[in-house]
Amino acid sequence: MNRLPEQIRGDFARAKRLEWQTLFWMSTVVAVMFVTMGGSQAMRSALIEDVLSLVPAITFLIAARFEPKDPTRKYPFGFVRVNSLAFLVAAVALTAVGGFLMYESALTLLMAEHPTVAPVEVFGHSVWLGWLMIAALGWSVVVPMILGRIKLPVAERLRDKVLHTDALMQKADWQTGLAGIAGILGIYFGYWWADSAAALFIAFSILRDGLSSMGIAAAELLDGAPRELDSSDIAAEAQRLQSRLEELWPQGEVRLRESGRYIVGTIEGVHSPADLPKLDELMGDDPAWRLVRLSFSPPEALRREDVG
Amino acid sequence: MGTKGNAFLRPAGTIVSAAILIAGLAACAELPRDPEGTTERIRRTHEIVLGDIAGAPPSPHAQRVLDRVAARLGAHVTRVDGHGEDLLNRLEKGKVDLVYGHFAKASPWAGKVHFGGPLGRRRSVGEEEHVPRFAFRNGENGWIALVESEAR
Repeated sequence: MNRLPEQIRGDFARAKRLEWQTLFWMSTVVAVMFVTMGGSQAMRSALIEDVLSLVPAITFLIAARFEPKDPTRKYPFGFVRVNSLAFLVAAVALTAVGGFLMYESALTLLMAEHPTVAPVEVFGHSVWLGWLMIAALGWSVVVPMILGRIKLPVAERLRDKVLHTDALMQKADWQTGLAGIAGILGIYFGYWWADSAAALFIAFSILRDGLSSMGIAAAELLDGAPRELDSSDIAAEAQRLQSRLEELWPQGEVRLRESGRYIVGTIEGVHSPADLPKLDELMGDDPAWRLVRLSFSPPEALRREDVG
Repeated sequence: MGTKGNAFLRPAGTIVSAAILIAGLAACAELPRDPEGTTERIRRTHEIVLGDIAGAPPSPHAQRVLDRVAARLGAHVTRVDGHGEDLLNRLEKGKVDLVYGHFAKASPWAGKVHFGGPLGRRRSVGEEEHVPRFAFRNGENGWIALVESEAR
């Protein structure tokens, strides 16, 4: 059984195809980067970032297998939050690697290590490896730029944080590629520090991605209010829904939280009305599928007031 | 990051311009520059200081390479004899321009200095195999590229 709402099944299938394509094309990037890496610290950091950029795609594909599954006795609420868990794991890994690379690049810079980029033999000709590195980095700019551009609108329609982070990471990827090119050109012009400085910039970009993803994942784990995809602000459609619910049940306390890509609402202190409105009507002009459950908690419900 | 879809398009012009610039640079490229200016100094002083490791069997190929490099820069070669560790230390500090000896690619010195390709007919050698090579100061990419291009 497919438990996904009818309205997003097409986009969901497209997102899965895009993530498989990402795995393929980014693997070609990783391969050319690995072959031409040489002694450049910036290339090393860019390669690690490219490998890490596979993580959100893999996370999405794993979560996509679980999300449509039926609830079980052990997981009675289903698996809609699998991607939140996978997302948190990926964010922690990203942060750790970003931190490590920053330390390593800063050390290389402080130790004033001069990167050696020697010539290599290609089809009987001696070619400075730096030019091959720049070609590989050029490929690492083109691929994520195109993939990221295609994925972003799909992620917005699906309200999918993993896919959205993936699209943003691909933006970071091609910026990394440009930084790497600047580093290699720096070596060409005799500025030994350019390579480590580019590596430091790349490491910072990885760390920033990791920290921002951790913030988004933590908000959902703490049953936070639904957030915008690209910031920690409360989502505009959640605010509109909150206003509508407060208008309908002014005597109650409206609480909304995010569960995967969905919104779950509770009206505290109100008896379940006899004439319930339809979920679709409550969302107004916003996508109706987002609101999956609205429950009423009467004033006499058993609860500990000091916990919530 | 807060980026919307059209932001991905904005740098496209910059990237295309950069690609053209880089392709142009690569096409008419000279050798990369040395951060510590080894090639420039040799051109100015007309002297290549070669560290010759005591006991290393001489290689006619290495001699031919040195002759070609010297002719290209209008320089002569001054040989400094010494033991491996001493000469590689001096190379690391920039006191000699290159060291000739029999080195394995997996030498413990591999991170501190750069070992060039094997000199002679054999191109494919094992990581642990000691073969005639030049060793260079790390990062002197123009100098390394010049000598290595003459060695091929």
